[in-house]
Parts: sequence; structure tokens; C-alpha cells
Amino acid sequence: MRKLLILALILVMVVGTGSLASARQTKQITFWHIQVTGTGPELIQQAVDRYMADNPDVEVEVVPMQNDPYKTRIRTAMGAGDAPCVFMSWGGGPLYEYVQSEQVLDLTPYMMEDDYYTRFLPASLSNVTFDEKIWGVPVENTAVAVIFYNKQIFEDYGLEVPATWDELLEVAQTLIDNGIAPFSLANKTKWTSSMYYMYLVDRLGGPEVFASAANRTGGSFEDPVFVQAGEMVQQLVEMGGFNEGFNGLDYDTGQGRMLMYANQAAMELMGSWEASNFLAENEEFFNDSLGVFPFPAVEGGAGDPSNVVGTVGDNYYHIAPTCEYPDEAFQMLQYLIDDESVALRVEAGRIPPVVGVADMIEDPMLSQIMDIVENAASVQLWYDQYLPPELGEVHKDVMQALFGLEITPEQAAAQHEEAVAEYFGK
Amino acid sequence: MNSVAHVRETGQFGRWRLLPRLNADTLTIFLFLLPTLVLIGIFVIWPIVNSFQLSFYKWNGIAPTREFIEFDNWSRLLRDDIFVKAFRNNLVVVSLSIAIQMPIGMGLAVLLDQGGRFFLFRLFKTIYFFPMLMSSVAIGILFKYIYDPSFGLINPALEAVGLDSWTRAWLGNTDTSLYAVIAVICWQYTPFYMVLFLAALTSVPEELRDASLIDGAGEGRYYWHIALPLVSGTVRTAIILSLIGSLKYFDLIWVMTEGGPSNSSELMATYMYKKAFPSFEVGYGSTVASALFIIVMGLAVFMLLFTRRFETEV
Repeated sequence: MRKLLILALILVMVVGTGSLASARQTKQITFWHIQVTGTGPELIQQAVDRYMADNPDVEVEVVPMQNDPYKTRIRTAMGAGDAPCVFMSWGGGPLYEYVQSEQVLDLTPYMMEDDYYTRFLPASLSNVTFDEKIWGVPVENTAVAVIFYNKQIFEDYGLEVPATWDELLEVAQTLIDNGIAPFSLANKTKWTSSMYYMYLVDRLGGPEVFASAANRTGGSFEDPVFVQAGEMVQQLVEMGGFNEGFNGLDYDTGQGRMLMYANQAAMELMGSWEASNFLAENEEFFNDSLGVFPFPAVEGGAGDPSNVVGTVGDNYYHIAPTCEYPDEAFQMLQYLIDDESVALRVEAGRIPPVVGVADMIEDPMLSQIMDIVENAASVQLWYDQYLPPELGEVHKDVMQALFGLEITPEQAAAQHEEAVAEYFGK
Repeated sequence: MNSVAHVRETGQFGRWRLLPRLNADTLTIFLFLLPTLVLIGIFVIWPIVNSFQLSFYKWNGIAPTREFIEFDNWSRLLRDDIFVKAFRNNLVVVSLSIAIQMPIGMGLAVLLDQGGRFFLFRLFKTIYFFPMLMSSVAIGILFKYIYDPSFGLINPALEAVGLDSWTRAWLGNTDTSLYAVIAVICWQYTPFYMVLFLAALTSVPEELRDASLIDGAGEGRYYWHIALPLVSGTVRTAIILSLIGSLKYFDLIWVMTEGGPSNSSELMATYMYKKAFPSFEVGYGSTVASALFIIVMGLAVFMLLFTRRFETEV
């Protein structure tokens, strides 16, 4: 009798899970995202809830994840042929790698329907457009690198916001003379230092220099512009332009911002998301001391000084080709960036990449950043996101060595060029 | 009699039994071992085999196709300066771990063994063990702040005792980053060996100690000539544990420096992770993993054989 009972139990366990799942009539969509800080989870959940209320036959399983574990998990899932229906990326090189590996559904037909794509800022779609097809929907935010600075310190030493690189160096010298590090940098993270280099390259040569070198359309990373940018970086490092030991400090645990709070550093070049970090960690500092200005022009540089480095869109959402209900999944994505969601994102201090968002922003710092973006002649995507992942890692390592004065600007240029040439075979 | 037929009939080949006689006992043993064997097979053996297989491919980890490139990954590995540097760094971690953790662990164990009767020492035993109870990530973040050149504890402490010239950006300097992390590794793992040695010392019969003291040996001679040889088996185990642990070490390095700056604290395991995941080079990452496996296996087997001979000679 007992044996029979155990046997029956085992049968229920084995068969039960399978039959329960198949008994469900609803359509299942799995959705992975990384909006886990601040109001992120609610911003996603409210849109999904509204979608499910309107479409009771669809059930969306939302799975929030931490940033870095996500990168590993999504790739493992794809490699195992088990990707979620809807997932996120940062666009650029890694996304193109997914596209070439046939892991992303072409969204062009959906985006073209009723000219839906015109809803988005054009710069936001360029990061997800490859081979003349659109592969993702921009949703979350606009993030460009700007210089945050301590207005109080600038006032104390009678400093003006620098408009050119030479003025910036003068400001830096004054700060150094007074025992303050001009820039705060936490560069264990590596991409943090890349921002200075990207801006200098763009100011010196314009976005074409990088594009033609990275896409192998006639350019080279040994172009004098890259070498000169490296020299300018090292000049800033040598004069004491950064805090001590920056290569060992971790951006993710706030070691860069601590210097700002302690008035030991006066400026930080960082993505505009940093504003919300300042606000969350130290509201008093944010209100009383924090200001922002665009990266200065470089005299004699060929690049338009209005250009910015960053991303319009930040997180993009994609549909896997294995998804059983792509139509439903795309509809759900439209809820994420409909007028209601856009309004909520603006309220949360973000700049969603849709046309007309500038009129909705009230916060002075955000609208100043939005002005910088709107007036930009071009937006250069972060190199480490633009390049294929393998080369993105090379770039970050080169940056750390360049800032650490372990290699010369010529060596930095040569290491870039060698890796890129080997990767593309030309 | 035909030897093959003999083997077939009896399961014996000369003196050696090839097949265990299949009786109820062996079947029971086999059935009880089966779940473990299946789990080890799936989660340990198969991934190792799979890594070796992947090391002959160029594959980004997600593409439906992968390209067979024979020994290209392996020849690249042998020419890879960073891998060689990582291997050298691993050897530094191995030697410093053994050279620092074992003596301090043993010293503390002797101290606690001596004073075990006093309440204060029992308190110390608990306190000394604390680092072992903390998660590596928490320790890593804690020490990142301790080493911080602007806000940390180390530099002001050095200045306070007049060693201003010693202050530096410990983790940001390519000359010191590896040693700065090794110091923390030792801080974390010494208590483990302390407890291991303490347990061994406690198991030495009390009579031996009494006898040697009566015979005129001091405490020092007792530990050096009697207790230590008696726990040499434990010491051997500890050294092998430390060797293997140091060779495949990952956590604190990853949390504190990510192998940087400029690969100065790179270890084989962090290099493997960087290649397989952030760089999308699963094929090459698997090659690094396989090389790591061969090196750890080889050294561990060598150490076991070497110390066994050493033991029988002594």
C-alpha cells in the first residue's frame, strides 16, 4: 500500500508539472530587464500591468536583474537556445554580435507600421540600426557625458566655467596649486577614463575619424588625432589633473564621488545619470554645489564643439526570434514607451528618447543636459559599446594603461590599431 | 586454457580481477553511488570535457555555428604575454600564501593550544576566526575603502608613525596591487589553517606531552620535535589545499582590482573569465580554463606524490 502511495506521488511529481503548464490557456512572454535601482522596477511594472489589463490572454513574466550578472546570464541563455522573449541591450557592437548570431528579431516591419519610428529621436535609433534594419526599441533614458563641477569651489577661487581646453588647463592649474584635484576619476572600472579620450578625439577630428577607423572604411587608429588625444590625456595626468591612485578606485562603489563630496576634487566627467546618483547620495551637495557644463572646445580642432559622447536611448529592448508571440511582445514594448510611461520617466528624472521630451522637463539641470543633447551636431556612442565586445575590452585596457602612463600615446594608438586590424582581418 | 575465455568465465586475469563479481553487495554500492556519480558526471566531468572540446573552436558563445580552428587557441595561449604574466602572478600567490598563512596559522594554533584553558584565549579563538566567516565580496569592498589613497586607513596610519614615504595608492599602483590583495587573502585564510592545525594539535594525546615534559623537554622542544611531526599529515593537507586554492583563486582579486591596473594583478582565473564573458571569446576562454585545469591537476598530483615520498623517508 505504501509503495503504491509513493509510486503515485512520484507520478504526480513527474507528470503534474508538465500537464499543469500545458493546461494554461494564456500566452506566456518572459521579459528580462536591468532597471533595478530607484524607481526603475515600478516604471517597467506599471506598463506591463497596463498591458496585461488590456490583454488578459497574455501573461508577462518580468524578471529584473543586476547589471553585471545580466551580461553573463543573457549570453548563457542565448548560447543554450533558451533566451527570454523580450530582453535588453545597450545597442552598438554587442547587439550587432547578437544580430549576426541570429539571436534578435528584425523589428523593422513593426517600427515602420504607421510610421511608429518617428516617435523616437533619430539618434536613438542609430545605435540599433544595422544592415538598414531596426533591431530594437529605445526606451529608458538619454545619457551623455558632461562635466559635473562644484560651483562652490569655482566661486572660492574665482574660476569661470572653461569654454576651451586651454582654459580648462588653466582652471586645473589653479585647483592643483590650491591642493584640490581638478578631476575625480575612479578607473578600476576603465570605461570612466575612456570618456576623456573619446571627447578629445571627437573635438580634434570629429566623429568621422573614429567611425572610419572602427568600421575599417579607410581610417586607422594610428591617425595623428588618436595620438594627439593620448598626448593631451597624459599631459593632464602628468600635471596632476586627477586624484591620486585613480586606477585602483572603483566607480561602482562610489569612490569617485566621495572625492567630490569631500571637496577634494572639483570636477567629474561622467554620464548624465550621475546627476541622480548625486541627488540620491547627497541631496545637500546636489542642491547647493552641483553644476554642469559641456566638454570644452579644443582650439584648432576639426570637430564640432557641440558634439557629445553618450547614448540616446540607454537601454534598448529586443525580441528573440524564438519568441512564440512576437506581435504581443512588441505591443507590450509600446506600453513601455507610451505617453503615460514617458511622463512617469520624466518625473523620475530621466530623459526618454522620444520627440518633444524637452518640453516636458522642468528640472533645471536635466533641461540643461537636454539642451546640450538637442543642440549636438552628432552623438558618439561610447567606444566600448560601439566596438565589438572583444575590441571594447581591448580599448578599456588600453585606456587604463594610457592614463597610468604605462604606455605612450603612440603605443596606445598602435595597440588599438593592431587589435582592430586583426579582428576585421584588414 | 585460453586466457580470454578464462577472463570471461571468472572475471579474473592472472592475479588481477577485471570485473567485480556482480553480487547483491556491489549492486547496492553501485546504486547508492549512482546519484553522486550522475551529479559529478553532469556538473564536473562533462564541463571539463566540454571545455577541452570548445578550446579547439572559435566561438563567441551565442552564435549557432562555431568554427573549428584546431590548435590556434593553444598556440595563441603559449604566445600570450598576459597569460604568462597571470601564471607568474598565480605562482606568487601560491608561494606567499603558503609562506605567510602556514606559519602564522600554526603560531596562532600553538598559542591557542597552550592557553586554551583560559577564558581570554577562547575569546581570541572566536575573534581570530571572524575573517573566515565574512563573504569575500564584503571583505573586498571593505579593503577597497581601507586602501583608498584619500580616505583609507592605511596611508594615515603610515603617516602617523612617520613612514610618509611609504604611503601610496596601493591598489592603483602596478607594483603593489598584487601584494595588496595577497595581504587581504592571507588575512582571510590564515584563520582557516589556524583551526585546522588547532584541531590536529588537540588530537595529540596528552600523555605524550606529559611524558616529554617529565623527560625534560621544554614547551618549545615538545612542539618542534613531537607535536609538529605528529601533525605533519595535516600540514601536508593544508599545503595542498592552499596550493590548489591559490592556483584557481578568483574572488578577492576580481572584487578589488579586476586583475588591474594593466593586468598587474591578473590571475589565470580572472583572465579566463574576462576572455570567456566580457570579451565574448568562449573558445579562447575555454582554452585558458583547460590550461588552468592541466596546471592545477599536474601540480596537485606532483605535490601528492612528492610529499608521500617525503613522508615515507621521514
